[in-house]
Amino acid sequence: MNSIVLETAGVEIPPVDGTGTAKTILRPLSVTLNEQRIAVIGANGSGKSTLLRLLNGLVLPSAGTVRVNGLDTRTHGAAVRRSVGFVFTDPLSQLVMPTPLEDVELSLRRLKLSKRERRDRAESILAAYGLSHLAESSVYELSGGERQLTALAAVLAVDPSILVLDEPSTLLDLRNTKLLHERLAGLPQQVVMSTHDLDLAAACERGLVIEDARIAFDGPAAAAVDWYRESVG
Amino acid sequence: MRGHAHLVAGYIAGNSPFHRMALWRKAVLLLAVAVLCLASPAISVTLGVFITTAVLIAAIAAHRVAGLPWGRLWRAVRIMVVFLVLIAAYQWWQHGPATAWQVVAAIVATVLASNILTATTPVDELLDGLGAVVRPLERFGADPERFSLTVALMLRSIPFVIGAFSDVRDAARARGLERNLMARSLPVVIATVGYARATGEALAARGLGDPELPGEQ
Repeated sequence: MNSIVLETAGVEIPPVDGTGTAKTILRPLSVTLNEQRIAVIGANGSGKSTLLRLLNGLVLPSAGTVRVNGLDTRTHGAAVRRSVGFVFTDPLSQLVMPTPLEDVELSLRRLKLSKRERRDRAESILAAYGLSHLAESSVYELSGGERQLTALAAVLAVDPSILVLDEPSTLLDLRNTKLLHERLAGLPQQVVMSTHDLDLAAACERGLVIEDARIAFDGPAAAAVDWYRESVG
Repeated sequence: MRGHAHLVAGYIAGNSPFHRMALWRKAVLLLAVAVLCLASPAISVTLGVFITTAVLIAAIAAHRVAGLPWGRLWRAVRIMVVFLVLIAAYQWWQHGPATAWQVVAAIVATVLASNILTATTPVDELLDGLGAVVRPLERFGADPERFSLTVALMLRSIPFVIGAFSDVRDAARARGLERNLMARSLPVVIATVGYARATGEALAARGLGDPELPGEQ
């Protein structure tokens, strides 16, 4: 079982000109995430994305530690990123290569496979996600849902044990959102995701509501969704 | 976003002689095109015009042999048209029509030749090739993977920037600001910087560029 332990003094951005006070984008928090499906919900700008970025060392806490399976993200960032896959809201910023096949192959380069093995494995991964027919299409020609699935496939190609998703369905239509739900439901990985999709959130085991840069509610996901709905009014 | 942005340098699957040719042979041909176009005018302007024109015709023919559509050839030239006109005008003014033609033809021939290389070589193979070129420099601190990734990112960014120009032009036109240089250029800069930041963050998240860990050598 994966273990994510955050004991931080929050995240602050120093003033641009070096004077004045730092801006707090996430307040101090102490939380352990062990559940298989965890939803992070809250308003835009509340600190959800910052919390997620702490989990693979994209953002480091101003003080304190974030440990993923015992590894500190500050001192073992590269090792943490090997085990934590991250899917962004906009897949186009994540898909580096011109085609889905090449992008999945890029993920696999780290595994030092032969060219043939890399190609075979990339093709089988795309096939598993129903993307074979798009393998050599331009990423610009894919629909939003196809891009998001491609980004997911590229991240899962290297078999991370934890998957972090930052509002994965925000740019998707209803059909593609449903498809994404189905894909996520079948994954063996621990999944931590921020979302505005309250149905998706309610289906998780645990829910964190982020409000004003702090965890305002932490409990069963369904209760977190209810709490969030009430707080919005 | 940027749905109309096309891949200028994307791979097109096929089975032409260029698709089957080894990458290093294509690179040598590209180098030959560049050297012929750049070096021949140094001997004489007339010879330069003759050779560059011949190379340009050969590059266009090679485009067809590679099975690439005319549209692709035109797109490669279209994005340079403004610069080519400016360069041609300057060269004509300074050195006359023969030099103007030679310079423009040299640029177009070289771009078409590089277009054939990228269109007939999968990016993955291109990365391996670039990595192999840089590998001897590893002892001096060069990182072949990082180098080839940088080139891939550059290729990947071209359609984004073209798309950004197009989107911003449309937005400026919708607001009646099509003649406002600031309205047509500043958002492109902001979008491009934002894209670079997002791409950098995505690369970091994927561990691309991270050092190899023990046991991964």
